[in-house]
Amino acid sequence: MELKIKDVSKTYANGVKALHNINLTIGRGMFGLLGPNGAGKSTLMRTIATLQDPDTGSIHLGDLDILRNKSELRKKLGYLPQDFGFYPKVSAWDLLNHFAVLKGISNKNERKEIVAGLLHQTNLYEVRKRYISEYSGGMRQRFGIAQALLGNPSLIIVDEPTAGLDPMERNRFHNLLSEIGEQIIVILSTHIVDDVKNLCRRMVVMNRGTIMLEGTPAEAQETVQHKIWQKLINKEELKTYKEQYQVISSAISEGKMWIRVYAETDPANGFEQVSVSLEDVYFATITKK
Amino acid sequence: MFREIFLFEIKLGFKKPATYIYFAIYFLLNLMLGLAAAGFFDVATMDTNTVANSASVVAGILVGMNQDVLGLVNSVILVAIMATAIQRDYEYNTFPFFFTKPITKTQYYFGRFLGAFLLGVFVFSGQLVGYFLGTLYGAGTPLMGPFLPQNFLMPFLIFVVPNLLLLGSIVFSLTTFTRSTFAAYLFCIVLLVIRLISDRIISDLDNKELAAILEPFGAQAFMYITEYWTPAEQNTRMIPLSGVLLYNRLIWTGVALLISFISFYKFSFQQFLTPIRWFSKSRQTDEASAAHIQEQHTLADLPKVTLDFSWKSSLKQWAYLSVFELKKLVQTPFFLIIALLGLIMMLILAQYMGSIYDTVTYPVTYQILEMLSGIFQLFILILIVFFSGTLIWRDREQKTDELIGVTPVSNSVLFFSKFTGLVLSVMLLNVLIMVTGIAIQLSSGFTDVQPLQYIQTLFGRRLLSTIIIIGFSMAVQVYTPNKYLGFFINLVVILFTSLIFGLLEWNHPLYHFNSSGPSLPYSDMNGFGHLVGVFLLFKTYWMAIVMLLILPATLLWARGKESGWKARYKLSKELLTPTFKLSLVVCLLIAIVTGGYIYYNLNVLNSYKSPKEDEKELVAYEQEYKYLQHIPQLRVTAVSVQADIYPESRSLKAKGRYTLRNNHQIPVDTLVINSVGGEKSWYSYRFSFGDNPDVTLLKNDSLRGITIYKFTNPVAPGDSVVFDFELAYAPRGFASSPSTMIVENGTFFNNKIFPSIGYDPNYELSSNTARKKYGLPAKPRMADINDSLARMNNYIANDADWIRFEAVVSTSEDQIAIAPGYLEKQWKENGRNYFYYKMDSPILHFYAFQSARYQIKRDSWKGVNIEIYYHKGHEYNLDRMIESIKSSLAYYTENFSPYQHRQVRIIEFPRYASFAQSFPNTIPFSESIGFIAKMDKDDPESIDVPFYVTAHEVAHQWWAHQVIGGNVQGSVVMSETMSQYAALMVMEKTYGKKAMKKFLKHEMDDYLSGRTMENKKEVPLMLCENQGYIHYSKGSVVMYALRDYLGEDVLNAAIRKYLQQTAFSGPMYTNAIEFVNTIKEYTPDSLVYLVKDMFEEITVYENYVKSLDYKQKEDGTYEVTFTVGAAKYYADSLGKQKRVPVADYIDVAVFGETEKGEEDKELWMQRIKMDQEEKTFTIQLAEKPISVGIDPYLKLIDRSPINNVVKFGHTPPKVSLDEYENRPKGIVVEVES
Repeated sequence: MELKIKDVSKTYANGVKALHNINLTIGRGMFGLLGPNGAGKSTLMRTIATLQDPDTGSIHLGDLDILRNKSELRKKLGYLPQDFGFYPKVSAWDLLNHFAVLKGISNKNERKEIVAGLLHQTNLYEVRKRYISEYSGGMRQRFGIAQALLGNPSLIIVDEPTAGLDPMERNRFHNLLSEIGEQIIVILSTHIVDDVKNLCRRMVVMNRGTIMLEGTPAEAQETVQHKIWQKLINKEELKTYKEQYQVISSAISEGKMWIRVYAETDPANGFEQVSVSLEDVYFATITKK
Repeated sequence: MFREIFLFEIKLGFKKPATYIYFAIYFLLNLMLGLAAAGFFDVATMDTNTVANSASVVAGILVGMNQDVLGLVNSVILVAIMATAIQRDYEYNTFPFFFTKPITKTQYYFGRFLGAFLLGVFVFSGQLVGYFLGTLYGAGTPLMGPFLPQNFLMPFLIFVVPNLLLLGSIVFSLTTFTRSTFAAYLFCIVLLVIRLISDRIISDLDNKELAAILEPFGAQAFMYITEYWTPAEQNTRMIPLSGVLLYNRLIWTGVALLISFISFYKFSFQQFLTPIRWFSKSRQTDEASAAHIQEQHTLADLPKVTLDFSWKSSLKQWAYLSVFELKKLVQTPFFLIIALLGLIMMLILAQYMGSIYDTVTYPVTYQILEMLSGIFQLFILILIVFFSGTLIWRDREQKTDELIGVTPVSNSVLFFSKFTGLVLSVMLLNVLIMVTGIAIQLSSGFTDVQPLQYIQTLFGRRLLSTIIIIGFSMAVQVYTPNKYLGFFINLVVILFTSLIFGLLEWNHPLYHFNSSGPSLPYSDMNGFGHLVGVFLLFKTYWMAIVMLLILPATLLWARGKESGWKARYKLSKELLTPTFKLSLVVCLLIAIVTGGYIYYNLNVLNSYKSPKEDEKELVAYEQEYKYLQHIPQLRVTAVSVQADIYPESRSLKAKGRYTLRNNHQIPVDTLVINSVGGEKSWYSYRFSFGDNPDVTLLKNDSLRGITIYKFTNPVAPGDSVVFDFELAYAPRGFASSPSTMIVENGTFFNNKIFPSIGYDPNYELSSNTARKKYGLPAKPRMADINDSLARMNNYIANDADWIRFEAVVSTSEDQIAIAPGYLEKQWKENGRNYFYYKMDSPILHFYAFQSARYQIKRDSWKGVNIEIYYHKGHEYNLDRMIESIKSSLAYYTENFSPYQHRQVRIIEFPRYASFAQSFPNTIPFSESIGFIAKMDKDDPESIDVPFYVTAHEVAHQWWAHQVIGGNVQGSVVMSETMSQYAALMVMEKTYGKKAMKKFLKHEMDDYLSGRTMENKKEVPLMLCENQGYIHYSKGSVVMYALRDYLGEDVLNAAIRKYLQQTAFSGPMYTNAIEFVNTIKEYTPDSLVYLVKDMFEEITVYENYVKSLDYKQKEDGTYEVTFTVGAAKYYADSLGKQKRVPVADYIDVAVFGETEKGEEDKELWMQRIKMDQEEKTFTIQLAEKPISVGIDPYLKLIDRSPINNVVKFGHTPPKVSLDEYENRPKGIVVEVES
């Protein structure tokens, strides 16, 4: 089964073009949606997740026209929004059970089993009786995944799931995700390049509502191969460099500044070529003039 | 910096639309009130003596706008404007910007506070500006006096501004310290409770002054100082900022300042980071699980589940979610607090339940439900408005909306589970009400608990109404773009529309939200009555309408991130299925069918009229038929009636025969018959003339109820004819205002529905303001006391003098039917009960019929049968009533004249009306007065209401049924005032003088406050025009004092003589002048002034103690020196007072302590002649004096009774001897022009 997004555009009432002619085909496996804040990722995620309508375009999951059959899609959907909260004073068990009811798992015993299973799966079983409001960030994200996995979804959307997690939690979370990604379509939206590098088979880079780049992480890296250059400069010079080159990133080091620029050919002027990372691809894409 | 912060706050406030919305609410509401007062609306007009732009009216409006529920709305709005001025900085995390700036605490705190306060003043000035502009419309008309700025500004400054400061400082401090508005909102609720409870408790007379000082908003103080203001004073006086009002304002402004400064003192920038928490525990921050060793699981291990999207599954979801929502609601502090406050309130009010003359009633179930839980209902309403906002917005506020939005649960399941959760939470509160109510009943030893009535009321009627409100307010919250607008709309619709519609006389129930149609209160006798079906019909109508709001709301459900109706609709439009459309159509059909049926009943079967249209009917009646008034008419001399009452169908068939006699000196050829008219009347009549068909029908106007016949052979003087009528009464459908007129159990009606002879001027429009509008000449309320033409009729009937009477009354098999007269025969026929009553002596043309399933209690007194027909279960006070009848008969026969009947019957009727009324040997008596009164045996001052009412009604057998005055001013003195006097005497004989004290105090209070509400003119007692505050209240006080001054024997001798002269006499009927003259005959010359003052003038005294002191002498005795003063005023019809010289006999007394420790032992008492303004006394006493008094028992009408008795050691209150005419003249008030 594939998710086909065709010519999807969306302009908000305030004139912001959130999505501009998006065309994507997403197959089984983990799909990375990389982009800076405000690139339109969340709008796209929500649009797929039936929470928003595009102005134009269509989205199909297999044969299912999801803009016309939102309730049908919801039966097959798992979604972890970027920003979510939970009712206070409800335990993890009760809340997961609550979502299980909402998902349509009406058999009480089955519900009990799946809730227990998912809490085990996400390593929350031991703390199932605690209020979610008292969970740490990582635990909350894992709980979020648990609820997204309820009801055998064939499409899972996770929006910025690792923002704010400590490295251990992030690692744990990646493991969870990668396992899920083996069986169904998982769309992972993030602005953290590592997430995509580690997890995704395919990826796109989005900026200002359009898709700037599409492919596997390796293909993506290929696009900037031999085109990234770096140089150590004085901080004050940054402005001048920015005017002259496409500076994709900068880093302070011992009072001076390393800058990386994207250039088809050797910019000379003291620049040296460096081996590229996915991060460079990302920065090069979103700083493209 | 202070300036910047202050201005910033104000600028911010003036940028918010909400500020203008709040201003606009107040502005519009008060504009409406002002316009209504200025006669802008085309509605029925009443007479008034007061102008609508006087300081006291403006103050009344402003104070009124802060009472009860309106007060709650005020506080909530104030929280919205003022509370968050500092808390906002936290909420939006802007506080670091301020706290890191070089500003001082003072600048920040007071800048914010004063800015917010000024905004509050602006918003609330909407009340003033609105009312002012409204009243301007009436400028130059008699409805308004001169426009004086201080009339508007002073009340605003005295009441509104200090109240804003007080409330504002409290909500501001609460919010700042708890960093949430929750505590402030809670405070608003607590305040509502205080307001409601204090209102009810303060009704006890003795607490008034204290309450006036302590009540925080000055409302009680305002009422206290203006309570006895006559219309003239109301029109001209400023609100005097002195006395209790001044203390009150000083105290509470002081409290406000204190709160501000304490909270300022306690406030520190650091505090912001650690708010005071009331309800939540400290957060657990342990990360016990963080280090938990991760076990490996694979997704493959997950059990397989089946997803079920059938309707059965949806039902299961709905049930589960409803319980989930219920749990969430019930766990909130708000719910617990509402429940707790409601509970406390019920318990407190239980102590003050059902006071009539400060007498308590038994806690019967309907009393508990109406009096105690009525206010709980208000809380429930608030809870609904608040919770519907919470429920609809919670998912979005707590950001679970996206998680829920992507689940396959349907919008309807989401909406209706929240809806059901709220309904269930209200049901829980109803359970609490029921349990508390039953506990209150049982704990006071009352065991006649009616659980079924609780269930029917709480889980039937009220729940249905509640469900409609819940549906409405939740749907509104779905439509509105934010929660607060939703709150606002709900409050306006639920609270304000009926107020505004009322002003406009838009009274049709079809558009009064959640109307219930005509309804009857629960009566022990008649249960819920016959209107239960009608109630259900109305509720179905409103439920269908609410469903028409709810169904689209499920389409617009905020499921995703889209905002705006269009986008949300687009998002959910796949839900617009045929089933959905069908449901919409079905609801629409139900609404149309039920609404149509209601319309059919109210407007087609019956005629629906606004008060204005009713007014026009009266005008038309007068204009068309006034000419008939002076055409000589025959007079009824005998009445024979057969009345068949059908309680099951609530209908009546009656046949009657009047014997009509020509009492004139000339032949009578025209007969004018008055009957109940009206469009689509439920009454129909047929008239005939026995065997004499020699009449011509000249006019038959059933609309106005006028039929005119011409006799072919005029009836010669002294001759009689018979007149027969048939009357059928059958209700058609339902209309408004049901009464006891044929109900299933407890029918009570009188002969007003029978035809009467002659044009009836009583149907004419009485408001002179309205009459002027229609070009009708002004009409006195009653004919002049000397009007000899008017005195040809008594004031009960225009067409008869003393008549012979007999009646056959039939009713259903299980009921007893009663009419005046003696039961001659009783039989059963066709499964119905028949009763034949015959009166053996002449009676007034005034008789009633009753029918119900009665129990009878019998007794007798010296050959007079006593019978009480009562509803089973109402046995509580039967013995008292019988005791009262006996004592009354004993006193009246001994002191007045023999009793003309051989029987006294008291007959209970349902509480749809609450009075007792005396007909010949028959006294219908409402179940709500007396039958369930509970006497406090330990309180010597408590008034025995059943005893008193019975004595009063029995007295009417003499006063009204032996002597009846002409249809002129003052005749009520010989019926009502004398019945009050008679009842007072009987009560005093039974309960002693002490028990009279409280009663008389009430009567004095009723008179003094009654005259402030006079809308035509106050008159002396002798000229009383059926004004209850005069003939009952002033009458009691005057007669009791007269008895004291003349002596009981002398007064009764005068009364006896008057009775002998006037009993059973016909035209020209006696008047009050004859009565007063008879009294004067028995009055020593020295006291004739008193009788004159009491009856012929409006006399008001200002008696006061000026100074007092005593010394103990060596021999242990005491020398007491004191000065007392007396001023006397005559008031005019508006209460303008003119001081007159005093030369009156007044009691002066010194009191000491009794052995029991009561401070009312008369050590010295003299009736002295006060022939100077002030007099000083020095007297020797053996016992220690405690207090000094002039007219200490308030025998004379005293405009400020509080300074009559003063204790030693207290400074006597300052007395004002003004005539209250110290203000610029120029008020134009038109009276009786």
